[in-house]
Amino acid sequence: MERVTAITTAVRAPLSPGRRYAAAITFIALGLVDIMLLGFFSHRGDAIFALSLPGAGTQLPSLHAPAALTCYVAGGISIALGLLRAFVEVSRRTKRLTIAIVLLCFLIAVLCWSGSATTTPLNVVSLLQGSIEASIPLILGALSGLLCERSGVINIAIEGQFLAGAFASAIVASAFGGLWLGLVAGSLAGGFIGLLLAVFAITFLVDQIILGVVLDVLALGLTNYLFDRLMAQNPNYNTGISFSSIKIPVLGDIPIIGPVFFNGPIFLYITYGMIIVIQVALFHSRWGLRVRAVGEHPAAADTVGIKVLWIRYRNVLLGGLVAGIGGAYLTIGSVGSFNPDISSGLGFIALAAMIFGRWTPMGSVAAALLFGFSEQLAYVMSTLNVPLPPTILNMAPYVATIIAVAGLVGKVRAPAADGKPYVKA
Amino acid sequence: MRATTLKAVAALGALAMLTAACSSNPSGGSSSGGSSTSASAASFKACMVTDTGGINDKSFNAASWAGMQAAKAADPGKIKAVTYLPSTTSADYAQNISTFLSQGCGIIVTVGFLMADATEQAAKAHPNQKFAIVDCSYSSGCLKGPHLKNIDQLVFNTAQDGFLGGYLAAGMSKTKKVATYGGLPIGTVTIYMDGFWDGVQYYNKQHHAGVQVLGWNEKTQKGTFANSFTNLAAGQQIANTFINEGADIIFPVAGGVGLGTAKAVQNADSSGKKVYMEWVDTDGCISAAQYCKYFITSVTKGIAAAVSASVLSAANGSFAGGVYIGTLKNRGVMLAPAHHFASRIPTSLLAELNKITQQIESGKIVPATKSPV
Repeated sequence: MERVTAITTAVRAPLSPGRRYAAAITFIALGLVDIMLLGFFSHRGDAIFALSLPGAGTQLPSLHAPAALTCYVAGGISIALGLLRAFVEVSRRTKRLTIAIVLLCFLIAVLCWSGSATTTPLNVVSLLQGSIEASIPLILGALSGLLCERSGVINIAIEGQFLAGAFASAIVASAFGGLWLGLVAGSLAGGFIGLLLAVFAITFLVDQIILGVVLDVLALGLTNYLFDRLMAQNPNYNTGISFSSIKIPVLGDIPIIGPVFFNGPIFLYITYGMIIVIQVALFHSRWGLRVRAVGEHPAAADTVGIKVLWIRYRNVLLGGLVAGIGGAYLTIGSVGSFNPDISSGLGFIALAAMIFGRWTPMGSVAAALLFGFSEQLAYVMSTLNVPLPPTILNMAPYVATIIAVAGLVGKVRAPAADGKPYVKA
Repeated sequence: MRATTLKAVAALGALAMLTAACSSNPSGGSSSGGSSTSASAASFKACMVTDTGGINDKSFNAASWAGMQAAKAADPGKIKAVTYLPSTTSADYAQNISTFLSQGCGIIVTVGFLMADATEQAAKAHPNQKFAIVDCSYSSGCLKGPHLKNIDQLVFNTAQDGFLGGYLAAGMSKTKKVATYGGLPIGTVTIYMDGFWDGVQYYNKQHHAGVQVLGWNEKTQKGTFANSFTNLAAGQQIANTFINEGADIIFPVAGGVGLGTAKAVQNADSSGKKVYMEWVDTDGCISAAQYCKYFITSVTKGIAAAVSASVLSAANGSFAGGVYIGTLKNRGVMLAPAHHFASRIPTSLLAELNKITQQIESGKIVPATKSPV
């Protein structure tokens, strides 16, 4: 009996009543929105969801959902879960599950509501495929930030590394006609910004936030200048060549999943590889242990013989190389051409994804996917003539972020020595 | 250690400023390089501030600059030099204008809607300095103030050629779905989209067809925006969405972001889909030549001619400050040549377009728009 009480208190302990009711109230509110706003204002009729891309080999039949009814059901489920959360204490895992279900219900209701406004089917595969593509640079940027910050160096320069990578890969690929050469050049250009970051942050102990912003401005100015002087004068330096999509045999033919996960530019597979390698290396290798030690308590790491500054140098450089690949994706991985300020703030969103992902690879990936999805959802909804002003639709990614952060993430903790230069006493 | 740190910061800061300064280094090099030796009688200097798209945006900044250069070429005796300052962020607008104010410019041309406030303030504070602003006027609500006599407002009724573009797209679409999207929901963008939408509706009425427009609706003023004029990836993603929804002609109204759409169209083409697009502002076959074969036409506005005329008027002393509205009638807006599509557009469709052009010129057809010029 005592044990049971102990366990329940342990489970209960971190949860204040305020937070518990906050979740319940949010659920019920979302449920009411599903029913009252989305359900009542749905056009009577079906929302059609296409499950295959036009022209794909195997065509799945489209899904027809009665819009209003689906909204009511989704709202009902959310309210039921809200009541459950208000009166019943559930485990941490179940809590996360309920949050996921409520968000999914909300999403389905939104899709039904927007889908019912038009006769054009809402293409689910296109939506998911676009989300993945939008997430690739965010994931690579977040991983870059993670590599740096886990070792204790803040990397605000992701945006600059993106720009440098995007420019270098586009010009090298165009001038020499070698896409792989462009990829290497992009990565190295990102690495060069990483090197500047490392030298000034680690050796010269410059404030890392200011330094990062300075490097971003530097990269913006430099690429704008070079664009004006080289690319704009000579279109042969900006031909717009890019990697074509690679379809994995067999896997790429699976309906829905195939085109989304197994048919993309080479960067998609590089990203898969990076996620796995960094996740494993960071948490299951001696290197990872040392990196984390340096990021949490460099003095302690130093006393056991770990070379703190060397580890930081190496990680910041690695981070630059990874972000450079993300930058290369922005040109030779997708649109081909370089344009001034082509990264348009993506580097900062990647940084946010890393923070919302609690400085973990998997969390960062989830956050990046969420950003990518909500951006894509706003595009898809807007093409369907959804009765919402465009400015409101474009807010969607940020609203989703706030909800997700408040509901799913809670308090985050940075590596203890993040941003603190290490000077041997 | 402390001193080294300071030096390091200083060095890095200097480097950043240097590159920023380099990129703001007026183009002068190529354009006015030889001008310093020109006749001493020539004293007029025309100055231009770009918006954040940059001088090589293949769109309205580039076109404005072309107009500046054309003015100099047209009257080299009077116009000593043309020069520009690029704006990296919107914070640079006022800064760049005040830089020019101290340089004795005969006229300061500001490019774009977004520079309205900065231009208006400077014009108010310096009533003797002549200004011209591209894509912005009092009647469109872009300039707010009491009317100032020293601002030339250069605007374009692009609903007219957008209408033609929409009609042409509807006539060329095989899937009976065409699409358009904008960079930002601002008047100079949505006026194109309005015209395009209305042109498609007119085609439907004339031919009892049911061509759908994705991405915009003139009646509700709701639709798709990339939220940027620099984010090419957004242009590609939006185009992919349209293509997957069955659209086969896309009209991006987002400056350089259209290059992302061109890439999506190219990819669709190489996977066997027949998808095309229309370029905006300038002739795409010149400004984005590598994608020329996907452009049915370009819906253009004659920014260069308007800027050139305004600069020349200031140089000749005939500057009055008022509104210039580009229309089909004065050739201030027009569809660009079809280039690759010249032989593929049915002659009957071309004849209809000619007829509509005349009807718009005579005022018989007024393309609907909620974005007055």
